Amino acid sequence: MRRNLLPLVLVAGILYAQASTPLPLVVSIRSERALSGVAGEYITLEAEVVNVGTQPINSVTTYLSLVDVGARMPVDLEDWSAEKGLFIGTITAGETLPLVWKVHLIRSGDYTASVVAEADGADLPVVSRVTYLKALPKRNLNPGNVLPVALGEPILLVFGFLLLRFWRTRKLRPD
Amino acid sequence: MAGVISARAISKSYGDRKAVDGLDLAVEGGAFFGFLGPNGAGKTTTIRMLTGVLRPDSGTITIDGHDSRDRQHIASVIGVVPESRGFYDWMSGEEYLDFFAALYRIGDRARAVRQLLADVGLADRGGTAIGTYSRGMKQRLGLARALVNSPRVLFLDEPTLGLDPQGQEDVQQLLKRLNEGGVTVFYSSHLLHEVAHLCSVIAVINRGRLAAVGTLAELQRQTDSEDLRDIFMALTND
Amino acid sequence: MYRFIWLKDLKAAVHTWKGLVWLLVTALIFSAASYLFLTNRELSLLDQTEMLWLLGKVIIGAALLVTVIDASSLITAEFENETIESLLLSPLSLGGLVLGKLLAALTTWLVVYAAAAPYMVVTAAGSRLTGAFLVYVGLFGTLAVLGFTLLVLAVSFFYRSLRNTLTTSLVILLALALPALFSPVLKTSTLARIAGVANPLDSIFAGLDNVLVDYHTGLAANLGFLVPVLVFCVLALGFLMLSVRAFQRRGIAKD
Repeated sequence: MRRNLLPLVLVAGILYAQASTPLPLVVSIRSERALSGVAGEYITLEAEVVNVGTQPINSVTTYLSLVDVGARMPVDLEDWSAEKGLFIGTITAGETLPLVWKVHLIRSGDYTASVVAEADGADLPVVSRVTYLKALPKRNLNPGNVLPVALGEPILLVFGFLLLRFWRTRKLRPD
Repeated sequence: MAGVISARAISKSYGDRKAVDGLDLAVEGGAFFGFLGPNGAGKTTTIRMLTGVLRPDSGTITIDGHDSRDRQHIASVIGVVPESRGFYDWMSGEEYLDFFAALYRIGDRARAVRQLLADVGLADRGGTAIGTYSRGMKQRLGLARALVNSPRVLFLDEPTLGLDPQGQEDVQQLLKRLNEGGVTVFYSSHLLHEVAHLCSVIAVINRGRLAAVGTLAELQRQTDSEDLRDIFMALTND
Repeated sequence: MYRFIWLKDLKAAVHTWKGLVWLLVTALIFSAASYLFLTNRELSLLDQTEMLWLLGKVIIGAALLVTVIDASSLITAEFENETIESLLLSPLSLGGLVLGKLLAALTTWLVVYAAAAPYMVVTAAGSRLTGAFLVYVGLFGTLAVLGFTLLVLAVSFFYRSLRNTLTTSLVILLALALPALFSPVLKTSTLARIAGVANPLDSIFAGLDNVLVDYHTGLAANLGFLVPVLVFCVLALGFLMLSVRAFQRRGIAKD
């Protein structure tokens, strides 16, 4: 049984190896290996993509990937970055292109960031190493003195109502 | 003060139902006019048309020589205890009368309110909330409101409803005094003995039409009956 | 004469607790909204101007809800409590009655606005938009409340019952408010754009966006947003006049 399947497995393996030829691209993050900021701040993530092959590569797209380490979940980049993906188009042989993402630290926590590059006709994307992002919590209590107003006004109103009630009860003589 | 209330061929329909059908009425100044009729005869609709809060489909109405559509003038000469007796329960009796005195542009409102409360026997309860009043007290307050502008013509739709015998007597005495002072009283009631006792002229309507009008003696002759109850039954039994 | 109706309804709002409870509810909504916007871990990171825009929407939305509910009972309570006849028997004109009720509703808005003002000031602190925020929420809010109150009063004379008036008015408010919840992507078609311009609430929210997010604080730059609201007010006034005329024809008794 196993001997009968061997030729099939070999053919499949050869075909897979042909289709999965790695892209001659190298993606690397140039920013420090660990970045940090306070939630609400913007940080800049710099990377580059290099065509290390001998032929130009068409339709290259790079995109940022963020994973919430605590939640073990990928992060929806809505709100985090205006440009999640960068379409590069053609990258000539030996060419190096800089990549820059402005990242808004929306929520405090620990994240990993990586940059991925894909091109038309390539089955395997190229992925950079991981950079660690730390978004420190923003202590926002009582910003702009909202707390005294948010607590004080309803309390003042209740006090005012009770005063009015007292005045009205005194004014209307009981039967 | 002749013909202070005059209605000529007034009619009012609600959908297909004719509530008042070509009614003619003439009430002389200074009269104590009784207005009788069975339930659904069109009494309240007639009073509402006479007092200007309901427009007749046809016919003309004059009050004190003015067309009833001239609401500003009509309102200044009439006082009404209507069938609907809503009050602002959160107000005190004093506040309630003061509010209406203000609407009527009464000069010394505080004095007028005190006098009105005394007239209807509510002087000691004027400061309490209307919501705590009994039905009879509310009736008295409604009467006080009707008198707030010292009206020349007073329309009353069941004014003693809900009053105890003493209350009924008090209201009757007050109305008598007003009538003796020259106020024309248009009095609608189900209490026939009250009407017989108070009214100088009595009109009976049935199915929106005038069945008879005259003094008690004239109605007695017309129906060959002694008692007002028998007269009423004779005129309203179809 | 309208003055006495106005004062009577203001006193009723205070003495029956109705108005006071609504005021407390709106203050709590403003407290929750402003505190949440500023302290929530994600929301608080919005640009301050966007937060002001959100708070402006909350203030106008809450004020509209309160005034629509409150105004629904202004006329209908007179019918349901059978006090309308006594009023109509007095020298008070129908116009005076309507004007008094309208002023009572606008006073409710003024009180709500006054309650909202401290929240607007503290949330706009440091943005240099405090004045524009106060002025435009006041301007758009006043016009919106005016239009909706005229509409509610018109419906009140038509139905004469609180339940029907309230239901109808809330459905109209909800129908006009719903498009404001749609994402901009759904508003790109020609039809949606026309509907957006014709909808007074959409215009108000877009106007606030123009002032607070795009910094177009001049009156001329916002006329395009004010005109649809003014048109809405004129239409509501026309509807009210028709409704009052129909009431005069029918009279106090319902057919």
